[in-house]
Amino acid sequence: MKARNESAKRFEQLILPHLNAAHNLARWLLKDAVAAQDVVQESSLRAFAAIDRFADGNARAWFLTIVRNQCYTWLKASGGRHYVDIDDEAMMHDQDLVLVSHMETPEILAAKMQDAAAMQRALETLPVPFREVIILKELEEMSYKEIASVTEVPIGTVMSRLARGREMLKKELLAKL
Amino acid sequence: MNEMNCNDCATWLHPYIDNELEMEMSVRVSQHIAKCAECKAKLAEMQALREGIRQQASYHPAPELLQQRIMSQINQQKSFSAKKWLAPTISAAALAASVILYFAIPSGQDMLVDEVVSSHVRSLMEQHLTDVASSDKHTVKPWFAGKIDFSPPVYDFAEQGYPLLGGRLDYIRHQNVAALSYKRNKHIINLFIMPNNAGDSSVHSTSKRGFNIVSWQKNNMKFEAVSDLNRQELEAFAQMIISQH
Repeated sequence: MKARNESAKRFEQLILPHLNAAHNLARWLLKDAVAAQDVVQESSLRAFAAIDRFADGNARAWFLTIVRNQCYTWLKASGGRHYVDIDDEAMMHDQDLVLVSHMETPEILAAKMQDAAAMQRALETLPVPFREVIILKELEEMSYKEIASVTEVPIGTVMSRLARGREMLKKELLAKL
Repeated sequence: MNEMNCNDCATWLHPYIDNELEMEMSVRVSQHIAKCAECKAKLAEMQALREGIRQQASYHPAPELLQQRIMSQINQQKSFSAKKWLAPTISAAALAASVILYFAIPSGQDMLVDEVVSSHVRSLMEQHLTDVASSDKHTVKPWFAGKIDFSPPVYDFAEQGYPLLGGRLDYIRHQNVAALSYKRNKHIINLFIMPNNAGDSSVHSTSKRGFNIVSWQKNNMKFEAVSDLNRQELEAFAQMIISQH
């Protein structure tokens, strides 16, 4: 009983402060308000159940790892409609996207970058593995190391996904004129 | 130090704007950018893009109600065990009251069955039936070693028409448990095994939300088999395990 009170206290101190980050990530990955809440609730209960096994460390990264895994589970279960797998190997060698069209339309691009609706749409079209690194970097201001731990890939992969993701985002912004 | 070219600059540009480079590399990127108009434009563009994301992408904080829902669920789990524990130590009147309370809330077995059924449903929905997919008991059993502090009996009954699909870790009544999945024709059976110090008991069948649950206790382990399979066949499955174990 004491142990459970301890756990609840630890949960309140360590996990609850990151509920917004958890919900924001789930909402961006799932693009579904109801599912995002369900996934965050399920993830919270899982975090609570495992909180005694969480040694000191980065509670936010730990919690977001659980949330992200639950999101992927949901995406896969929802029939693959939302699920896009990527081939990192192919991605690394695919240089043709990089270094295209950065000078042609600076004014239009600048305008699009400050257009909330366009930005929203463009981000939502990115495949999940690119969308998540951008959300974690720009909205949660996580370091490459933290993102690597949440997404369970090497730091080098985080770096290349961010670079590729930003290029894709730019292309997407310019595509919908 | 050799000069950085535009290709290298493109590689390091992103960690550069994210402040993730070591001082030396960071200086080299700055030096290249100072001399290269094209890379300088690229940098400005990516910085503007970052600004755009930060300012325009919506942030979705957790709704107030979600936090309340989570905390009430956690507190429920917490207070349930507290009530049961405290009951004998308080006054007779309060004890009488708490007895009523005790019956008003579901018993431990009911809650166990409830969680077991939910976990069964979840395992089918999430297509997360197995962490180790194998019909070989010599693969499945060692997989559990080091993950749980007891050794669940693992058997394959393919010949009897109940092939073993694999095993996974699950979490029931606040502890790690072993879950084995079997197949009977089109039906999936989840067998949950958890340590328990109660004495051996023979099979007991119930049903909940359309699922059959067969429970028994043997060798300090509690077994819960759940499936939408009919009760007779699920009980036959239970007997096969008991006779082997």
